Amino acid sequence: MQWWPFYGLKRQLAESREFASPVPPMRAVPRIFRHSLFIYVIDVGSSNALNFEISALESPQYSIHRYGIYLTDSPRHADILLVLGKPTAAMLPPLLETVSQLPEPFCIATIDDCPEDRERSYPDLPNHICALEGIPSPAQILGMLLDLSTPKRKTR
Amino acid sequence: MKLLIGVIPPNEERAERLFVLEEGKAVLLKNVDDARVYPNYALLRDRPARINDRPVSGSGVFDFRYGPVTAGIREAGCFHLYTYGEKILRAGIDLSWKARGIEAAMLARTPDAALRLAETVCSNFAFSHSVAFSRAAESALGLVPDLAARKWRILLLEAERVTNHLYQLSRLSAAAAQKVLAAHLSALFEDALRLNACLGGSRYLMGINRLGAWERYPSAADSHTAIEGYILIARKFRQLYEHSLANYNYLDRLHAAGVLTPRQVEDFGLTGPTLRACGLDDQLNSGTEHLVNLPVITHNEGDALARMEIRAEELVNSCQYLADHLTTANTWRQGSGAEQQQPATEGEGCGVAHSPSGAVGYYLNIRDGLIREAAIFTPSYAGMHAVSTALEDLIFTDFPFVFDSFGVHFADAAR
Repeated sequence: MQWWPFYGLKRQLAESREFASPVPPMRAVPRIFRHSLFIYVIDVGSSNALNFEISALESPQYSIHRYGIYLTDSPRHADILLVLGKPTAAMLPPLLETVSQLPEPFCIATIDDCPEDRERSYPDLPNHICALEGIPSPAQILGMLLDLSTPKRKTR
Repeated sequence: MKLLIGVIPPNEERAERLFVLEEGKAVLLKNVDDARVYPNYALLRDRPARINDRPVSGSGVFDFRYGPVTAGIREAGCFHLYTYGEKILRAGIDLSWKARGIEAAMLARTPDAALRLAETVCSNFAFSHSVAFSRAAESALGLVPDLAARKWRILLLEAERVTNHLYQLSRLSAAAAQKVLAAHLSALFEDALRLNACLGGSRYLMGINRLGAWERYPSAADSHTAIEGYILIARKFRQLYEHSLANYNYLDRLHAAGVLTPRQVEDFGLTGPTLRACGLDDQLNSGTEHLVNLPVITHNEGDALARMEIRAEELVNSCQYLADHLTTANTWRQGSGAEQQQPATEGEGCGVAHSPSGAVGYYLNIRDGLIREAAIFTPSYAGMHAVSTALEDLIFTDFPFVFDSFGVHFADAAR
């Protein structure tokens, strides 16, 4: 049996293809994001599919670190706040509090997994740069993140 | 075995009902005197959104609030971990952050429209919710589902199980600091999601099941791709699993962590891997008309390791089951579908489905073709109570892998 750290080292799991976002950014992206992108993910009332898609995005097939994209554990280290789902009434204050913790410059991207739900809506979010609807695949989410960071590195 | 999984509140027309699993089948009991038999009756009647919410105070006791915004859990939910040093004295759980009022949103909608809402309760269990809802609505309206639909439902419940078990095992191994294993399992998880899309057109098997019938049949080529995919997943997973069982660093973390006794799991009304990890069989396999009897895997230890082993063994079985039955599934096509039937416009019914984490139950009361009452009973609600109990007296570092070993979700519990 191989030693555990060497297991699978020769397997090439990362995929080389184009990752495209279903929608373009809504405004110009700050140039400061071109070298790397740190993302803080907040779930504010999603049906959980988006949490699963973010976990899938972290899988070796997408290998997001090769593009300089990292998920951070604190909003204070983030360039992008990725909001999953439409906020429940209880999650509105924590969402706004999280926004207030983001360092300048920052952008906010939202993914609305239930666009037909008219009961809940997003508050006015500053620097809201991208809005996806439905349950996008990890490839589409990665496409969106690449649009926000380094378009020239879209294919690798 | 009889397990109470929900209490349907009384209204002006009828008394309280108990939603009971008897030999794996859903039964509505009208006699409220039966309530005394079930230790979890009061819990399920009240369904508090704050679980075990009794603060602990004293010198050196700290309320460590974990959530609703934290990278560790990621879902919108909150733990109140009352700690003394490293020791967790009590773990309160607040589900209210994720409550979306889906039962209320179903009211005054047609069953077809409400079916789509059922899929959004917890999308990683979307298919289980869809099947349980369909079974309840069909029972209420006197619809007999198409044979092909019944078979495809059973088959794709296993596909959902494969995806969820891979996710859970990947989370568990990451929480126990097994990064290599976690990365490989994460790759298999993404592969399983792609196979779902191949079979059902949706990575979460949404929109393919409808009342009495089936929406989308995969092509022969897609079925063939899926068969090869599940065989490959089973083979790779077995290799990884055997590898991980030789890693004592991993096993030591899970062994004797988050132990529940058979009495405790019965008292909470738990089903699924958590129940089977205590040596009990919820008989859901036999109660939900499987194509062949899948072996029911049980372990006796009741700890995080036993829950992990059950998921691992079920995963391999489900892959094998899918590979075996998808070869013949292309002959399962629409026969006498719901279109030929004249459904009733009113009635009440209940249905249950065997989700990856336990029994999902639906109670529906339909009048004039619209939903008048809806109650959703999920495995994660009872599971959250079990998590809260299991965390007591553990040390803080055990928290992530004990939580992940239960496979419970705030979206599922809060509805």
